[in-house]
Amino acid sequence: MTAPLRGVRIADFTIHAAGPFCTQLLGQLGAECIKIESKTRPDAFRKPHAVYGRMTAATFDQVSVNKLSVRLNLKHPEAVVLAKRLVAISDITAESFRAGVMKRLGLGFEELCKVKSDVILLSLSSCGQSGPDSHFAGYAPLFGAWGGLGWMSGYSDGPPVEMRHVMDHSAGLHAAAATMAALHQRRLTGKAQHVDVAAREVASAMIGDALVLASLGIEPARPGNSHMSMAPHGVYPTREPDRWLTLAVRGDREWQALVRELEQPAAAVDSRFSTAEARVRHSAELDVLLAKWLANASADSMAERLQRAGVCAHVSWNTADIARDPHLRERGVTREVSGPDIPTRVAVGAPVRFSKTTDVGIRRLTPALGQDEDYVFGELLGLSSAQRADLERREVIL
Amino acid sequence: MINGLPLAGCRVVENSRSVAAAYAGRLLAAMGATVVMLEPKEGSPLRTAPPLVKDGGPSALFGFLAPNKRSLTCDLLSPEGQSVLAGVLENADILIDDTPVHDRAARKLDPEAIARYFPKLIHVSVLPFGASGPKADWDGEEVNLLHAGGEGFLLPNGLSHERFPDRPPLKIYGHFAQYQGGCMAAFSALSAWWSVAEAGGQYVDVSVQDAVLSVGAFALQRLGDGSLEHRSTRRFRYGGVFEAQDGFVELLTLEDRQWQALVELQDRPEWARDPALLDPLERSRRGDEINAHIREWMSRHHVDDIVHRAQQLGVPAAKYRTPADVINGEHERFRGLFAPLAINGNEQAEVMVAPFQFRATPLQVSQRLPELGEMNRELTR
Repeated sequence: MTAPLRGVRIADFTIHAAGPFCTQLLGQLGAECIKIESKTRPDAFRKPHAVYGRMTAATFDQVSVNKLSVRLNLKHPEAVVLAKRLVAISDITAESFRAGVMKRLGLGFEELCKVKSDVILLSLSSCGQSGPDSHFAGYAPLFGAWGGLGWMSGYSDGPPVEMRHVMDHSAGLHAAAATMAALHQRRLTGKAQHVDVAAREVASAMIGDALVLASLGIEPARPGNSHMSMAPHGVYPTREPDRWLTLAVRGDREWQALVRELEQPAAAVDSRFSTAEARVRHSAELDVLLAKWLANASADSMAERLQRAGVCAHVSWNTADIARDPHLRERGVTREVSGPDIPTRVAVGAPVRFSKTTDVGIRRLTPALGQDEDYVFGELLGLSSAQRADLERREVIL
Repeated sequence: MINGLPLAGCRVVENSRSVAAAYAGRLLAAMGATVVMLEPKEGSPLRTAPPLVKDGGPSALFGFLAPNKRSLTCDLLSPEGQSVLAGVLENADILIDDTPVHDRAARKLDPEAIARYFPKLIHVSVLPFGASGPKADWDGEEVNLLHAGGEGFLLPNGLSHERFPDRPPLKIYGHFAQYQGGCMAAFSALSAWWSVAEAGGQYVDVSVQDAVLSVGAFALQRLGDGSLEHRSTRRFRYGGVFEAQDGFVELLTLEDRQWQALVELQDRPEWARDPALLDPLERSRRGDEINAHIREWMSRHHVDDIVHRAQQLGVPAAKYRTPADVINGEHERFRGLFAPLAINGNEQAEVMVAPFQFRATPLQVSQRLPELGEMNRELTR
């Protein structure tokens, strides 16, 4: 069967993590994504990333799977003309530069409307296309800091916590949903749309409830691992070092099941823990007890036992656990990939399962720089070999 | 239906108990879809989910999740309730449902029956571990799911971990995992709906765990590169969270020119003039030493002064803002990020309109919460 977004084409100018993740998602669902880069400004994964501790280029890059790669030196006016031709034959144009950069390149929304009257332009930036901070550059930890998510996350007696790639990718996921809405709108109205996603606003959505409180003058507390209506709730040590068990006990039935499985009959009748309210009130004592009760337990077998007894429990998994998990493998969200220079490894495949449009997931791996120019420049734009050689000589294609 | 909005004309039925399913409906409603929320007679549990705006008062979480939805109560275990369900599905494009797999048939929500009676419907299942696979019947709350998807184990990193190395891992605030699941559900619903003319209706199986793993894909990529990430080592070689005189600052320089600007920000101190530090790889190797210098410098300055000058110089730096900072933020006000919301009798709160904007057709600023069963009254009138 086909994929849900087959036939949708994207001119992809995105850089870094958030934007490429968005177009990767659309690509996993079947969109044809043409990645536009250049030798002088290659994608981040083609270079070492020393601050992350990666001292060489990546051989496999998740957010570029399925993408086609072409080179355009956007500092050259003729490259901008070619870029516009790609926009004209695409359904979606995606970019993640700082606000104003596309306009300076001659690729602003108004310009793009001239070559494609119903263009869908996705701009995914740190602070959005308008407002006093729109020129701010940033990365995931900064989005989290600006948006309030970093402040609200952390031990209640500690500093705020920096968000990592999940923040970039969450912004990309939200951008993908908004872009799909814009496509539907175009189908209905035939009109252009400029989707403006500010990653810091996605971070703010993640504290949407706390912002409602703040609007009423209430100062929301940083809860750490605790919960206002569930106890026990949190992450508990077990007999193996650094093998933690996560627990969330919703109500009395789950509480009784928990103490039964942990063989703690006295706790079952302890009035300090008889109702959810009482357990929350005594949650600090409960946390100490849980650590004691679990001190000789295996996290993995206890999680399975508790799940069978109807208690929400799961081991705090490291990435190796995820890579070998049969459930995730059966769902297709993880799969092995390999290539000529890529020894077998596990990657994220289909993020969702569809009953009919089942052809979703990874179709090909990381493209080499400019790998798809025969198809994109030759077939789609109709440039001859001589024209392309000339453009390369003059560093328009670079 | 609200004309002019991106999803005007899109009709959604949401049967939710979880934040994930409710957030999917929330995003679609914000973009103009008509979202009918099915609730039991006593109301959705989300109506009383913490945090509350006051003891025994309405839920701030529901205030965030439910704007612009409509409420229809029905008992899906009764024939009457099932006929109400059939009535709304008859006129729907998308169903979002988080009923556990084993409870579906009794409620006429099993995918086979739905596909038979509503062949054009996009039926989106949103469950903690998905609706298929060996763990499809596992249950999970936010804390379980964030850890099942791999991100929980990796938090906190940086300064928090340095200060409290022996504490258990720490979750992200609120419902981060479920928001990813909900957004994935909204995205995949719209994607399946995009192909409805060719493929017809279909069943879409969304798992919150899968969504967390998807947004956490970088850790899996690092594993393939030979590094098993851990919160103690997953830190920037230099940069991160810094404590200034009156608050916290995030600082991260990835590019050479940003490093140069950072040196400038600190008025070109002696240590930073070491020519060896012009090499980014060398800087990474000497990250701890660099951070110690930056920490010392930060501790002598005010947050606002630091971030103001940093932005002028092109150093990526941000204040760790409180919810009050965000809700009153000049930038957020300019962008119309929040809209009034009546939540507690006549008390006027504010709520985020949406985490995305559509510049050609701005989203609605009026936000209202559904009264329990408001549509039942209209139907019986």
